[in-house]
Amino acid sequence: MKTDNTQETDSIKEMETEILNNIQTCINCRMCVPMCPTYEGWITQSAFGRLAAINLHLKYGLGSIEELSRLIFSCANCRRCQERCKMLSTNVTPTDTIIKTRQLLARKAQEWGRN
Amino acid sequence: MNKSLKEVVPIPHIYIRGNILEKGNMLGVAGDKAAWAKDLNLPRNAEFTFFAGCGYQFMRYVEGMMKAAASMEKIGLGMERSIGISKVFGKIGINLPSITAKVTAAGKEDTYTIILVSAARILQKLGVDIGYMYEDEPCCGSPLYYSGFLDDYIENANKNFEVFKSLGIQRLIGLIPACTASLRDYYPKYVEGYDLEVYHFIEVVAQRLKETNIKPKLKEKLTIAYHDPCQLSRYLEIVDAPREVMASIKGLELREPDPEQCKQWSTCCGGGGLEAGSPELCERLGLRRVEELLNTGANVIVSHCPACVMQLKRSTEKMKADVNVMDLVEILDEALG
Ligand code: SF4
Ligand code: SF4
Repeated sequence: MKTDNTQETDSIKEMETEILNNIQTCINCRMCVPMCPTYEGWITQSAFGRLAAINLHLKYGLGSIEELSRLIFSCANCRRCQERCKMLSTNVTPTDTIIKTRQLLARKAQEWGRN
Repeated sequence: MNKSLKEVVPIPHIYIRGNILEKGNMLGVAGDKAAWAKDLNLPRNAEFTFFAGCGYQFMRYVEGMMKAAASMEKIGLGMERSIGISKVFGKIGINLPSITAKVTAAGKEDTYTIILVSAARILQKLGVDIGYMYEDEPCCGSPLYYSGFLDDYIENANKNFEVFKSLGIQRLIGLIPACTASLRDYYPKYVEGYDLEVYHFIEVVAQRLKETNIKPKLKEKLTIAYHDPCQLSRYLEIVDAPREVMASIKGLELREPDPEQCKQWSTCCGGGGLEAGSPELCERLGLRRVEELLNTGANVIVSHCPACVMQLKRSTEKMKADVNVMDLVEILDEALG
């Protein structure tokens, strides 16, 4: 699928490692929770909750992939959490990590489609 | 265990991908691209190249589609909302540009493409030497990135870089924050040897206003609340330039919402991409943001991104709030006379 001038893209494993490494630096301070415009009382509507769900799914297979997809696609990519995390916490880059997880899921599905 | 793409990526996002890859814009409308520039006589080559992007050019279709989608919901076709609907329309033989023409003709002007004309004129008035690529301008592909299609994004970015290079383009001025962030911050990560200089319109304007003696002035006083678009404030990290520009406009009073609701902490209005997969949530975000902005007591809401402007307009209409929503470009154009 890749053209010659296209840089080698991360493999699925590398993407997973990058995502999980980012999440490991989260200190669970939850400072990002009230920042999230989609937060309406459920923790999974926040960056912290989305990251926790990604972690549990990738590491232990918890939750269905459809449910995970629903959670990460309900993020508005607004980076308000990321700004807060960068300033007060450990710079997990929550928004970028959520987007990276979308890319991981899409790539997995495309690979499955080819096999 | 194996899942198909549509089980892990919401269907509207899959449509967006198809539209960009097949039609070169996220809505998949066949193109009168560059039509907005027909009276401007912009050269193809200049010191800076104005990057118009898809948003302002196609926003009128989104509005038209949303209206059509709302009425189609009654006959059970509304589920894919705005994005996929152009496909649905195509399948059942409805000509989308003609619907939009009708919506537009029915007393509603196209308020979006005119912003491109104004922006280009503003740059010219400020003495910036700009050119335009016309139909050669590609889609930057940023929705591909956010929807999860990284490989397609990278392929598109590399293809686009070749186009820029072959046309001898070195410096871009973007107007749409998301396109500008994509071209400035993501392309260098994925395109080897990427060396284009990318600026956002408002930075250039702020700089030129400092360097020249031009003093923008409004005929009538305006009290506004400014909504920082996420892509401008937190992706491009541009929060001072629009404020410097606003401060330079005589007759303009800026009211800021609470400090934790503006600049880099600006609350998201939901306009950037949420509509595709979570329309109800998107609507709630818009209403909450408008409330924050109205609490400032301003009677005009100003932003600087086509998606935000459209979302804020829809939200104020929904709330039946008696406020105008405008793009900063419109105000500046008026103030520069
Ligand atoms: S602010 Fe950062 S460190 Fe704190 S919970 Fe959120 S992601 Fe984790
Ligand atoms: S980027 Fe997503 S998770 Fe972070 S604050 Fe915005 S909507 Fe919430």
